[in-house]
Amino acid sequence: MIETVTRKRIEILTDKAYVPRLTAAIDSVGITGWTIVPVSSGKGRDGEWREESVMGTDKVFVLSIASEERAEALAEELAPLSTTLGFLLVMWDVEVIRGERF
Amino acid sequence: MLETAIQTFTSPVVLFFVLGLLAAFVRSDLSIPEPIAKAMSLYLMAAIGIKGGVAVAKSGIDATVLSALAAGIVAGFILPFFAYGVLKTFGKLDRINSGAVAAHYGSISVVTFVTASQILTYQDRTPAGYMVAVMAAMEAPAILSGLLLARGMGSKGGTQSFGTMMHEVLTNSSIVLLLGAFVIGMIAGPEGFVAVTPFFETGFKGVLCLFLLDMGLIAARRIIDARSVTWRLAAIAIFLPIVNGAVGTTMGVVIGLDAGSAAALGVLCASASYIAVPAAMRLALPEADPGIYLTMSLSLTFPFNVLVNIALISALSVYLAGA
Repeated sequence: MIETVTRKRIEILTDKAYVPRLTAAIDSVGITGWTIVPVSSGKGRDGEWREESVMGTDKVFVLSIASEERAEALAEELAPLSTTLGFLLVMWDVEVIRGERF
Repeated sequence: MLETAIQTFTSPVVLFFVLGLLAAFVRSDLSIPEPIAKAMSLYLMAAIGIKGGVAVAKSGIDATVLSALAAGIVAGFILPFFAYGVLKTFGKLDRINSGAVAAHYGSISVVTFVTASQILTYQDRTPAGYMVAVMAAMEAPAILSGLLLARGMGSKGGTQSFGTMMHEVLTNSSIVLLLGAFVIGMIAGPEGFVAVTPFFETGFKGVLCLFLLDMGLIAARRIIDARSVTWRLAAIAIFLPIVNGAVGTTMGVVIGLDAGSAAALGVLCASASYIAVPAAMRLALPEADPGIYLTMSLSLTFPFNVLVNIALISALSVYLAGA
């Protein structure tokens, strides 16, 4: 049986333009890794949106895995920006192998 | 005037744009894959920049070029103030959104300029090559004016420092590629350009047609989904390009430009950015609503300019210059 540990999976749906600010915040709280995943279209409170890379209105998911303490530190770091930058941040518990890496 | 309108509406570039609009309005599933659209925009920027640079290398820099550059930069700084006043009073927009939209109307649309150049060329009034340099020079001043209007003096640029924000604005991919290709064109000159002519010259109009097809699709789909644009803002999106176009064309004739170049300056003043400035506003004024500024510039002003205003500006330039 492989041993797993509980960590937080963090997902941030954001405009691509804000990725450098978000990844800088992730780095600043000591989380060692993140992944950017493109998304194609969706619908939110302001209506439908779709990938329009020419206009720079495309969105991405920023994914990361972290310990609960670091995930909470990230949430506190990003909370003041969430209204202005309009991103969506969710996190939940996941089981990971090689938990010492996160 | 009728002849100008016929030339506009029989141009393949304009017809592909109309096809894009129609396809979106009838809910067709026609779409250009995003990586291809992005690649086409990079190709167009590089081609426009290098051709402009080659033209300046050929003609040299004289008083006319410098006065056209100065007129463009002054217009870029000043036009947002007029737009801001109209948006705040008649448009009833708040300060942040008024500043953001005003920046779009002071800056320029590369694709509108290229479309106008094609139409003016069909009419034997090809704008001078240095107008590409004027276009590049007009990208950024309006961003500064818009930020000044939105945030006042001592702007902090929202959630980041002013220096960081300006770095991101001025290193925006479209500005870097346009100016970089322009410098390459100036260095290479007409002889150096021969080697890359098949790529940048032969395919240019075809790529522009496909790019405008995509712009038509995006513009129409945005207007279908538009929620934030009131009838007042829609009226402003038509009113500003008419006034700014007339001002720019008159300025061009007054400083001694030929009819084609004066019309090109008018089109630059009339056009509203939907590539460089939205990217800058995302960073500098994240509180501003992209649903307002992108819908106004891309879905209302851009089609109006392509379908109607370029022809009006061309006719005005001929009338004023007596060509």
